[in-house]
Order: sequence, then C-alpha cells, then structure tokens
Amino acid sequence: MPMTPAEPVSGVTAIPDGEGPPPGVGRLALPSRIKLQEYTLVVVVLALVVIGAILEPDTFPTADNLRAILTQASVVGVLAIGMTFVIATAGIDLSVGSVVAAAGIAGGLVVDSGAVAFVAAAIGFGLGLGLVNGTAIAYGKVVPFVATLAMLAIARGLALLMSDKSPISLLSSDGVRWFGTGEIVGVPVSIVIFAAIAIAGWILLNRTRYGRHVVAAGGNREAARIAGVPVRRVVFSVYCLSGLLAGLAAVLLSGRLASASPVAGELLELDAIGAAVIGGTSLAGGRATIVGTFLGVMVFAIMFNLLTQLDLATEWQQIVKGAIILGAVLIQRPERI
Amino acid sequence: MAPTTPVLEVRGLVKEYPGVRALAGVDFEVRPGEVHCLVGPNGAGKSTLIKCVSGAVEPTAGEIRMDGQPVTTGDPSRALERGVATIYQERDLVEDLTVAQSIFLGHERRRWGLLDRGRMRRETVEILRRLNHEAISPRTYVRDLRPAGQQVVSIARALSRHVRLLIMDEPSAILDDSEIETMFGVVRRLTAEGVGVIYISHRLDEIRRLGDRVTVLTDGRTVASGLPATTSADQLVELMVGRKVGQLYPERRRGNGTVVLEVRGVRRLPDVKHASFEVRSGEVLGIGGLVGAGRSELLRAIYGVDDREVGEVMVDGRRVPPGRPDRSIAAGLGLAPEDRKSQALLLDWNLIKNVTLADVGRFQRGLIRTRAERGAAEEQLRALGTVPADGSRIARELSGGNQQKVVLARWLLHQCRVLLLDEPTRGVDVATKAQLYRLIADLAGRGLGVVVVSSELEELCGFCTRILVMREGELVAEVDGAAATELELLRHAMPDTQEMLASGVPVPAGVAADEAQEEA
Repeated sequence: MPMTPAEPVSGVTAIPDGEGPPPGVGRLALPSRIKLQEYTLVVVVLALVVIGAILEPDTFPTADNLRAILTQASVVGVLAIGMTFVIATAGIDLSVGSVVAAAGIAGGLVVDSGAVAFVAAAIGFGLGLGLVNGTAIAYGKVVPFVATLAMLAIARGLALLMSDKSPISLLSSDGVRWFGTGEIVGVPVSIVIFAAIAIAGWILLNRTRYGRHVVAAGGNREAARIAGVPVRRVVFSVYCLSGLLAGLAAVLLSGRLASASPVAGELLELDAIGAAVIGGTSLAGGRATIVGTFLGVMVFAIMFNLLTQLDLATEWQQIVKGAIILGAVLIQRPERI
Repeated sequence: MAPTTPVLEVRGLVKEYPGVRALAGVDFEVRPGEVHCLVGPNGAGKSTLIKCVSGAVEPTAGEIRMDGQPVTTGDPSRALERGVATIYQERDLVEDLTVAQSIFLGHERRRWGLLDRGRMRRETVEILRRLNHEAISPRTYVRDLRPAGQQVVSIARALSRHVRLLIMDEPSAILDDSEIETMFGVVRRLTAEGVGVIYISHRLDEIRRLGDRVTVLTDGRTVASGLPATTSADQLVELMVGRKVGQLYPERRRGNGTVVLEVRGVRRLPDVKHASFEVRSGEVLGIGGLVGAGRSELLRAIYGVDDREVGEVMVDGRRVPPGRPDRSIAAGLGLAPEDRKSQALLLDWNLIKNVTLADVGRFQRGLIRTRAERGAAEEQLRALGTVPADGSRIARELSGGNQQKVVLARWLLHQCRVLLLDEPTRGVDVATKAQLYRLIADLAGRGLGVVVVSSELEELCGFCTRILVMREGELVAEVDGAAATELELLRHAMPDTQEMLASGVPVPAGVAADEAQEEA
C-alpha cells in the first residue's frame, strides 16, 4: 500500500518530483534486489535438500553427510568471501586457485619446523602474492582481469618450481592434519574457520567504514574519491585480503588431504566467482552480499554432494553448475520498463 | 501535402506504468518550420511524451499522426524512417569513435559490402558545413570535442537521415551562453528548411529567444497548449506550479566574515593557468565564464580531485595538500561536482549511505551504529527539504533537484567550512531552482563560504555576493554581484576569437593534424 509522500519540511514549493520511476512506484518495491536474491537462494538450498532427502533418503539427510558437505564447502567458501570483496570493487581475482597451490607448497617447505610455521608460511605467501596483485592493479593501473590472469600463471609456476613438481606429504605433521580432521566442540575445524571467516566478512562489509568504502569504490569510483574514500588503498587492500584468504584456504585443503600439491586448487577461482555471482554480488561492482555468497557456496556444495551420491559423472556436475550460474545471472538482470 | 498539415499531431496520449499514469491525455502539435517549446516541472511527463513520439515507448492510448498519417507506435525504427530525430539530454555518443563514424553509426554507407569511409567523411563535411561548423574535422575523436562540439555531432547525426521532426531534450544544459547562440543558429537553419522542432528546456529565457509556441505539461496533462512564445516567464511558472512562486532569488548575502578559503596562484595546465582569490565566511562567490574556460577544473584542482601543479589552498588559514580529496574534506572543503549522477552519488545506494559516505567513520564505534547513522542522515535531508526525506529510498529514484540536496546533506553532515558547488542547478526545473538558491543562501547565512560555478550568468547575477569571471584558464574580472549584469559578465567571458566555440580541442583543419590523429 503506497504511503502518502512526505511533505517537504522547508523549501518554497512542493512539486511532483522524480523523473524516472514516478513517486509511489519505488515504495512498492518490497525487498531490495539483493534481499530477493537471497530469499530465492534459501528456497533453492531447501529445495535441493528436499530433493536429496527424497532421492537418497538413507545417505543424504544425515549428520555425517552435512559435515561432509560443509567441510567440502569450506575451501571454496573462504575463497569466495575474499572474492566477494574483490568483486565489490568491480575487480576480479582469477589467481586464487593457483595461489592456493603456491601457498600450500610454501607451507610444505617449512612443515618440518612445525604446524605454526606451516600456517604462517602458507598465509604469508598467499598475502604476498595478493600484495603483488594489489600493487599492480591499484598503483600500476593494470586491469584486474589481466593482472590476476598473469598471477594465475605465475603462482602455478612458482608452486611447481618450489615443489620440484611433486606433492609434499604432510602426514608427519599432526598439527597441519588437525585442520582437516580435528574438531572444536564436535564441529570440524574447517567448518568453524569457514563460519568465522563468513561472519567476520559480513561484519567487515556491512558494519565498518572499510566495507562501505569497498562497495563505494566499486559502485562509483569518481564519486567515492570526491567523497574522500581512499580508493587506491581500498582496491589494493581487497587483493591482499583475497591472497591472505587463499593462503588460509591452502591450509584447510592441505590439512584435509595431508599433502600439499602443486596442482591443487585448479579452477577453484571459478567456483569462488560463481558462488559470489549467484549470490547476487554484481560483477560491475557496487553491490555485494556475504550472505548471498555463503548461500551460493552452499548451493554448489549440496549439488555436488547430491550428484555424486546419485553417481552422476563429473561432466554432469559441470553442466549443472554452469546452468545454475547462467540461471542466477538471468534472474539478476536489471529490469527495464 | 497542404502546408498547414502539422508535422506532428498528438491527441489524447496516455501512458500508464504499473501504478502510475505518466501521461494522462496529452494534446500537442508541431507545425512545419516552427519551434514548439515544451516546459514543465521534473516528472511532468515530458520525457515520456518524447519517448512515445520517438517510438522508444509504446503509449497506452491515444493517437500520434505525422504529416497527417497515423503512425505505428512503439517502433523506433519506423519513427526514424518517418523522419523523427531525437537528441537526448544525456550525450549518447560513443566517445571512442570519430565524428564521421558517430554520425553514420547504425546506417553506415557501404560499397561492395565494405565501409565507404571516403563517402562518409565527405558527407560529414557537407552536413557540418550546413550546420556552419566546418571547423570540426570528421576524423576528430568525439572524446576530444567539447560538449558543444559533441552536441553539434549529435545534431549532425540526426541530419544524416531524412528529418521532419527534431526533438531536443534540454540541449542547452551543457552549453554556455555563446554556445547556445550557435546552437540556436543551427535550429533556425533547420526550421527555415521546414523541419518541425520540439524544444524542451528549463530555461525560460530561451523560449522567448528561440520558440514560436509553448506548451506546458504538468502531471502528465497539457495545462496550456500552443501559447505564443511571448508568454511571460512568471505566467509559465504559474502554469507549471499551479500557483504563484515566491521570488526566484533570495536576498543577497553580504559576506563580512573572516576569510575561510584562500586560493593562491593555482595552476593546472592546460585548463587552469592562474587563479587566486579569497572566499569569506557568509558569502556566495560566483564564478562565471564560458564552458571550457576552466571553471570546473579550477574547483577540482582546489579540492584535490585533480592534482595542481603549483599554488596553495588554505582553509581557515591552514594549508591543504594537493591531490588529496580526503585531506581537503578533513580541512573543511566540500565539493558538489558538475555531474551528480556520475561524480557525486552512488545511484543504487540508499540516501542514508549516500549522505554519510564522506563521514561513515563518525558512526563507527567498533561497528557502524546504523540507527545513529540513519538519524543523522535523515536529519540533514529533512533540514534541506529533500523529498522524500526517507533515507531508505534509492538515490536513483530521486529527481535532479533532490539528488543535489542529498549531496549538500553530505557536506552539511560533515560540517564543512567551504562548499564548492559546480553547476548546482543544472537540469533542475525553475521552482526547484528557486529552492536551491534559497538553500545555498541559507548555508552562507550559517557562516559557510560558498563558491558557485555556473554557466547561467543570470543566476549568478541573481544571488551572488561577488562574481569572478574566468576566461581561458584565468580569472579576468571581479564584479560586485548586486551591480552585475549578464551582458557585462559575458563581455568579460568572451575570448578574442570565436573559433574555439566550434570545436573543443584546438585542432586545426590542417591535414597534418588529421593524419597524426589517424595514426594515433
């Protein structure tokens, strides 16, 4: 029900206002586009769960399977949170998959010095590569697509070079394996970390000045600059954040596999981008949602789990994944009257 | 065809959008060779009307006839065939194309399936000559032209097809006075050839200078159709608003406070050669001049959006470092840039976030306290009489005047000391303009120093304390606001030669320059 338009408090005249959508129309638009997208995804997730429960009543709706799904989702999930920040600035980080591999190898090289060294090296290396991305993009003015495409190749090359092309076993380090097999009050460590990162990401994006600046830098760079947003520094920082989270993802992945492989993480960047995009974060920048990204990650993870249980080959999984991305983006298209 | 048959006849036109009647029965006609002006407040339905005529929008009911024939509605390509050409408010040229490429975009001349570039260039030269703008080279890139030059290209594009009816939506918004005169010349040439022109403008003085008849549109209805162009501005405003508007300009502020902004020898070549001036607390300082004189660039250099090469800027006696908008803001400067949509607002954000953008940190105690943020933002919006003051509305939905208030609210929230306003009333209807003038004067009354850059010399004379005139990158004159006349300002503003009016860049028509451009 349209409300009566507010009367101007001061000013000389009241005249019908608003070229474009005339008064009243905007008020009827209930949830914002991001909210709508999130509700849709919740429905999709629930639908997938129901379908799974019907098709595989014995194996799908179980606590163990839920753990498996979430554990599986944690690596992509951590990357997708970082990716959401990058995409919010109208950027892209194609390098995260390779950075995961390189960071894992960097950790593997020092794993003999203990799990702490492993974690520090992995995260530090990821951050370092992110810093290179950020410098090239924010200060070198290289287009994000190109800069991170270059890093995709470089990081993979570094991973192969540092590992002499063979995986490094981490079986000897209980500390590292704890990230894959350990539990905190009954919840797998990787799930706890993913949840913590998601919550921290939500707060950072929605409830801090930094988050506001990130979205402003992507929404309208010039306007943000004129309003005093340190746009370059903000853009630089999101690639550092993405690199750092890629390092963390490497820790989770290596912990689960008990090894660091130079070929790990291939195409993970596409899953992370896909999750953010179906969640409602706009590739054009200026619109970002952590809740959406989280739901996007869950859609992928549940679907992957379900299709695997249904013995559908990976080629089908790829096709379904692609269809979901396309479908989500079609829903997102701006409406035109 | 009898000469009295109107080029365009619109009868009972209705356009409904879900929940809203944008047009509620509009009658309108344009005769061959006449300039028919269309005026009305923002949201009156002017844009919808021309979209119906140009085929971009399908009307819900009503009839459109061209040269006596009923036309198929909702089909832009048929409208083009019938000779309807539209020049929109926003420049709609592809900046990376050359002039010739732009003019023939979509109906390129071809030979043997390949582009006939020679012919397109020749025809471009011909059309530009017809418009008396042969100084523009067909090989110049659109981005290198000044707004006036780009507009000439838009008109030329319209003329490259068969034209019966030319629709111009606020063509003067981006032009200064002398460029407008040039554009009028172009329009008069076309009407002499029998073309009908629909001319939409918020500048009522233009109606008398150019128009033959006026139609007033309010709330999707024609309140007065086909009035003579001699109708007084007061009468037109009354028709638009439905009642009498108070005085257009507020009382002139007398700045007698201390100096809040001091600009010393600022230079940023090629646009700003040298500028020094002071702004006192409580005064409204106008900066006038032709488009391209470097006024916007001067503001941007002072504020630090663009770096300055030399020169000092002091706010309250403290130096402000160059090239750092964040530091300028901290020092107490605020800039409302020329183009609200592309430079000031995040159109998809709500009003709260747009207002607090420069100042979010203030609400952050660990996390942003959203309730406090909303309260503070809405307080400023209300104080400025923004409609709606509801902070959860999306900036895109607001009219130009209200969007401008959102930008002002941002700087009031920040309690800035000096406001730099670049074309604050561009694209805003007369009644809202009056509101904005009053607001700006009120801000000065609160002790702010206000700098207003405007291409409308009349408004500068109307309410500024002092007026500086800028010409070719330098401040050439200072005039007391109360004594200033448009003519005097214009005389100071005019450069010695008229050539720069035609094209933006000093591109000589010489072949050498053309070749160099082609290679680049």
